[in-house]
Amino acid sequence: MTFRTNWYSEVMKHIVLLLGAAIVILPFYLMISFSFKSPAEIQSITGGFFGAQEMMTDRKCLKEGRSIEECTMLPIVYNYRAAFEEAPLLRYLLNGVFVTISIFAIQVLIALPCAYALAKLEFWGRDAVFGMVIFCLLIPVHAIALPIYLMLAKLGLTNTYAALIIPWTISVFGIFLMRQFFKTVPDDLINAARMDGMSEFSIVWKVMLPTAIPALLAFAIFSVVAHWNDYYWPRVVITGDRDLMTPPLGLRMFKSDMDGNEYGPMMAAATVIVAPLVVAFLLAQRRFIEGITLSGMK
Amino acid sequence: MSHSRSHFWFVAPAVLLMFVILILPIFVAGIFSFTDYNLGSTDFRWIGWKNYEALGKYSSYRKMFTASLTYVVIVVPVSVLLGLGSAMLISSLRFGGEFYKAIFFLPVMATLLAMAIVWEFTLDPIVGIVNRFLEDGCSVGWFYQFFTGGWLGFNPADSWYGNICSERMPNWLGNKKYALGSISFIGIWQAFGFNMVLYLAGLMAVPRDLYAAAEIDGAKSTWETFKLVTWPMLGPTHVFVITITSIRSFQVFDTVEALTRGGPSKSTYMMVYAMYEKGVKQNLVGMGSTLTIVFLGFVLLITLTQVYFINRKVHYS
Repeated sequence: MTFRTNWYSEVMKHIVLLLGAAIVILPFYLMISFSFKSPAEIQSITGGFFGAQEMMTDRKCLKEGRSIEECTMLPIVYNYRAAFEEAPLLRYLLNGVFVTISIFAIQVLIALPCAYALAKLEFWGRDAVFGMVIFCLLIPVHAIALPIYLMLAKLGLTNTYAALIIPWTISVFGIFLMRQFFKTVPDDLINAARMDGMSEFSIVWKVMLPTAIPALLAFAIFSVVAHWNDYYWPRVVITGDRDLMTPPLGLRMFKSDMDGNEYGPMMAAATVIVAPLVVAFLLAQRRFIEGITLSGMK
Repeated sequence: MSHSRSHFWFVAPAVLLMFVILILPIFVAGIFSFTDYNLGSTDFRWIGWKNYEALGKYSSYRKMFTASLTYVVIVVPVSVLLGLGSAMLISSLRFGGEFYKAIFFLPVMATLLAMAIVWEFTLDPIVGIVNRFLEDGCSVGWFYQFFTGGWLGFNPADSWYGNICSERMPNWLGNKKYALGSISFIGIWQAFGFNMVLYLAGLMAVPRDLYAAAEIDGAKSTWETFKLVTWPMLGPTHVFVITITSIRSFQVFDTVEALTRGGPSKSTYMMVYAMYEKGVKQNLVGMGSTLTIVFLGFVLLITLTQVYFINRKVHYS
């Protein structure tokens, strides 16, 4: 191959990939752009990426009896303010943070000791327990949703934080992953800790946990991304109480309440919900890709 | 070596939760699928296989199977091939690979529900940017000629594009001719980056010397080395990518619930949405459980197929 054909094929590849990238990026571009623009600019698709940012007056605000000065603002300010005021977006975000962190913390609390026991302790029934873990890996979450919803409803737990968290407290995938990781930890390390008089309990949290940080980080990304983005389960168990909604469910409610013209505020809300994970991903790409493709092992 | 009874306290919580949260519900769903139970009433009757028979009897369930299977049949091959294609292009680049990789992976990370709402707006029949683009294209001579087949000598007015130019722009999510295709498009958009990353890892694992060996054996074109080396060496990755994409496609829910609610005329009425609609929204627990069991059956079937292929040693190493 000559230099010329090499150069030619490199350019062709870039053209194809750039075209693909343009389609992939399109909705992100529109989402951010619309979150800056005034309703008129959105309707007519004018104003480029940032919009003209001409001052606009919010009619709803005037109806509430406030002065014109108070109700006149830049479109970008209007959109983001409406997202935080009309939909309690901050509340949704805090709910999302609380639920995802609680889920991850409980998953680790339950999975780590179990994974340690399966990897490093010998006891009667160990193989049976491991077999149970492997079997449970086959069960898709959507298949247990309805019965769990029934159980929670019977216990009067729908529309509570508990309902959002309980079904995810057990992560058989986490147990499996950590067990595989603990298998690679040398026995000498554990025996030395035992010689020092450490209890099995403190071995788990003071010896095994620190060695497992890289695996745990990957699992954290996997778990947090899945539950921050999850829409199905919150939709099932949170039926009316807005104070408990997670970001995707809150956005969905915002959409169904809207009179159709308020795309700006809705896109602002969508941007705020999508942004944390996307920014974190762009900062730590390798770790994120590793963490999310972990589910591939399932 | 027995270390007191600490192992019991380590394992018991996990075993208990596995049983209550994962295994018991399957049995509960199995039992309820033979009843007419609904959440409002206090008792229920055993109705045998009636719920299962209903799946074949009513057109809405037949449409559900058609929609689900069509979705899987569209999304799986397209997103797998796009994933493989983009992985091969990216891995053969001299520079810029990381950039494309990051962009193509963005939809995997982003909250699907939020992005679905953006797509809905993008595909809106009147103010959506897709139809604006198509509409503008109608008055651009070469664009119109190209996409109507006019340059090949066909009558432009007979083509699909010529037709929407003279009549009216397609309603992507509101017309049953297009709705399932539009939802599938969003599914592909979201899924292929994940497959790309798995294929990139698979390509890294192909030994370099195999390509040299193939060249010695007379493989001249890129296509021949692909057929001889790349494709077969990716065997385990193929099995894995196809399995995971199929299972995920069966689980599509967010886009359906937010954009079409199964419509128009049940053309996008897919399984997990049907489960939610029957079991949760309409409180028809019996029917919802039946759908759950059938759904579980499909997913297990896919998994067993995967195990079968893995045991047949698709990897040649």
